[in-house]
Amino acid sequence: MATFVNLLSANFRSILRDRIFLAILIVALLFFLLVPSFSLFSMRQVQELAVTLCLSTISLLLLLVSVLQGASSVWRDVEKRYTSSLLGLPVSRATFVVAKFAGIAVTLVCCTMLLGALALPAISISAAQYPSDIPIHWMNIIGAIGMDCLKYILLSAVALFLSTVSTSFFFPFFGSVAIFFAGSASQEVIEYISGDYGKSLTPAAKLVINIVYYLLPNFSAFNLKVAAIYGLPFPFKGALYTFLYFIVYTSILLCLSVWSFTRRELP
Amino acid sequence: MNALEITGLCKTYRGKRQKIVKALSSLDLTIAPGEIFGFLGPNGAGKSTTIKILMGLIQPTGGTAKIFGTPVINSASRQRLGYLPENPSFLDFMTAREYLAFVGRAFSMHKSDVKKETDRVLELLALEGAANRAIRHYSKGMIQRLGLAQVLLHDPDIYILDEPMSGLDPIGRALVKDILRDLKSRGKTVFFSTHITSDVEIICDRVGIIVNGNLMAVDHVQSILQSGIEGYVIQLVRDKMVTEEVFVEKERLKSFISDLSASDVEIERIEPKRKDIEKFFLDIVAKGEYVAVE
Amino acid sequence: MKLKAIFLILLISYGAVVVPFTDYLRNRPVAVKLGYTPDARILKIASADHCSLVAQLAIVKVLFYYGTIVEKFTKKIDLPVEHHNMFKTVNTALKLDPYNMDAYYFTQAAFTWEVGRVREVNAVLDYGMKYRTWDYYLPFFAGFNSAYFLKDYRKAAQYMKNAAELSGDPLFTKLAARYFYESGQNQLGILFLETMRKGSKDKKIQSMYEIREKALKAVSLLEDAVVRFERERKCRPSDLSELVAANILTEIPVDPYGGKFYLAEDGKVRTTSKFAFGGKEK
Ligand SMILES: Nc1ncnc2c1ncn2[C@@H]1O[C@H](COP(=O)(O)OP(=O)(O)O)[C@@H](O)[C@H]1O
Ligand SMILES: [Mg+2]
Repeated sequence: MATFVNLLSANFRSILRDRIFLAILIVALLFFLLVPSFSLFSMRQVQELAVTLCLSTISLLLLLVSVLQGASSVWRDVEKRYTSSLLGLPVSRATFVVAKFAGIAVTLVCCTMLLGALALPAISISAAQYPSDIPIHWMNIIGAIGMDCLKYILLSAVALFLSTVSTSFFFPFFGSVAIFFAGSASQEVIEYISGDYGKSLTPAAKLVINIVYYLLPNFSAFNLKVAAIYGLPFPFKGALYTFLYFIVYTSILLCLSVWSFTRRELP
Repeated sequence: MNALEITGLCKTYRGKRQKIVKALSSLDLTIAPGEIFGFLGPNGAGKSTTIKILMGLIQPTGGTAKIFGTPVINSASRQRLGYLPENPSFLDFMTAREYLAFVGRAFSMHKSDVKKETDRVLELLALEGAANRAIRHYSKGMIQRLGLAQVLLHDPDIYILDEPMSGLDPIGRALVKDILRDLKSRGKTVFFSTHITSDVEIICDRVGIIVNGNLMAVDHVQSILQSGIEGYVIQLVRDKMVTEEVFVEKERLKSFISDLSASDVEIERIEPKRKDIEKFFLDIVAKGEYVAVE
Repeated sequence: MKLKAIFLILLISYGAVVVPFTDYLRNRPVAVKLGYTPDARILKIASADHCSLVAQLAIVKVLFYYGTIVEKFTKKIDLPVEHHNMFKTVNTALKLDPYNMDAYYFTQAAFTWEVGRVREVNAVLDYGMKYRTWDYYLPFFAGFNSAYFLKDYRKAAQYMKNAAELSGDPLFTKLAARYFYESGQNQLGILFLETMRKGSKDKKIQSMYEIREKALKAVSLLEDAVVRFERERKCRPSDLSELVAANILTEIPVDPYGGKFYLAEDGKVRTTSKFAFGGKEK
């Protein structure tokens, strides 16, 4: 456990000293300063727009951080031969991989908390300029931000898994971006083919789509933005299912990552 | 218990286009605690391959390896071990001090010990000046020194060093020899690879010679030097005036001396003429290549 | 070995979680599925060169979910939010790409009959006429809306004249003429719906028009029967069932929207479904 924490903190520090990460973070922070003036674009929906802008900014930052960090994780340590010096310490490969993931996850959580803490005042300032008839549902907004964080932690696990089997940046990067888009759309596609449109498909094609649907991570489930923006009742049951799904899916990805990294020959 | 126990270790690399490289074939080796073992071999002989298997970095195709009785696939086998990789590379965003603190924690050292030992090894390897600079800005030699520092930090019982002298200046090389002698005097076990024979001659208790993945010879340095005696150069003084030198083969020494006693020639000096480790090594390599071709 | 065991346990857990999880996702309200479309100005900046594509995607999404509502109109769905959201999404799409015909067509199809946002729809159509200057459908829609819903016959005639000029089709001239008197509203509606249905490629929209047409035909049939009843008996029926009793009708037609037809105070035939999917619950 101490070894794990030690590695985790090293990984976390390595991300904090990463120039690209810092640049992205600073851009996101600057953007928050602009939210109150940006939201005046929409005369009738100032508050809704402020909420959207904040949630989208957080999403975009988390997307970039999770994909960039996840995709440049394990293979890069192998290529830079950090693995040789690190695994020469009494560190198992499982600990190494899980600590790598945990470093990214902790970064994502910290970013979420930092930006979330800025989003709340940005939203209240914007909303005060032009009161809306929908009250602000703070719990919904916080819930939506939290779910977003889980979503990108899951995405970083996807990227990390791809990086354990890769020897370059391109495969894990484009692979995880593709999986992100596919996983965000899979729910719509499955609903599309379960209706009228699906009748023209052959059973084999339907089966393939169904298999892909269950294999891909379902990212659309983590989207609670509508509930946050329009103040719809917060879907507690759905959030619970999604949370369980997140735990199980992420653990499976970590298992696969450990398995593939254990088999890997290191320089 | 043996410090190191290697039995039947094989490694076959499968390269691109199904090219097969047999890097190690059935290596058997045991090393007792307190021994300084030199693993000698030409480039590409399989030294690093052996060491990487010992560190669990690659899986052997066959055979087993244990460190103090613990199989190397278990990360606990590295608890009492210090490892210096070949051309090492360390988390380069950290400073040397931060990295050593990280290594100390990895070996569950006490905070105060880490501080004390960090200062000690940094001083020993003359890195104090650069200790608070990021490793990214280090030269190759400095990184090699840091590698040695992180090996010595937690005072392990066994040291596995892959070409510890490479990249070092003469001062550094001398320093490494001193360090190895010191480890020997403190009863530590050292297993190090090299392709430089003189290193072995000065420091090692035993030497193993590996060529093309085959362990060709394992012997005590002393006995190699002994058995390597080919003959003697004898300085003779005739008529108390003229000095001459003759070479006498090993087997003929006794009869030569008894022949001499009849004459009035005096022996001024007898010097054994022997193959040094280098000659020994070159002979074995030549033989190994011959075997490989056959 | 340990890893394999953990993996197996996780796979089983995945099986256990994924069933209620996907079940829940399938039954989420449409508004949630449709998601939130950011303001057009923001979207325009964000989508850069791909405005038309983003617009088309938004419309396809709306069309698809509208289709699911038509399919399962008996289901409990929170209609006001749905429509507001859909209208907003389509509007945003039109701001991104004012030439997108699908969006105008859908606006006309979805937000007039059921939702009664005729003025807003006509505003959208007016906006579209500025861009699609060659398109006779937009004035045709607007003309129909003005006459049928807003009873603004002067405006309707103008629109229809416009449509007739653009298309050269005499049908529009006839329609324009028809708008000067109020009678025959139902016939007009049926004629319009037929035209719309035949002009549509989308199955969902077609079926929607079919249902609408069926309902309108039923109303027309009932109102004709009421007129006949009044002629024959010189009094108004107090209830639609009297039409059957008087042997004018063999049976009261079924409301395809799931409601029940009744005779309102003003002598018009109405239905409890208000011609809206899910209107029954309201
Ligand atoms: N990853 C690899 N793939 C294929 N062949 C390899 C690999 N690593 C080493 N080899 C080959 O194995 C042999 C032994 O290499 P190595 O153990 O590094 O030698 P050295 O004794 O110089 O350290 C060499 O012929 C080398 O080319
Ligand atoms: Mg080597």
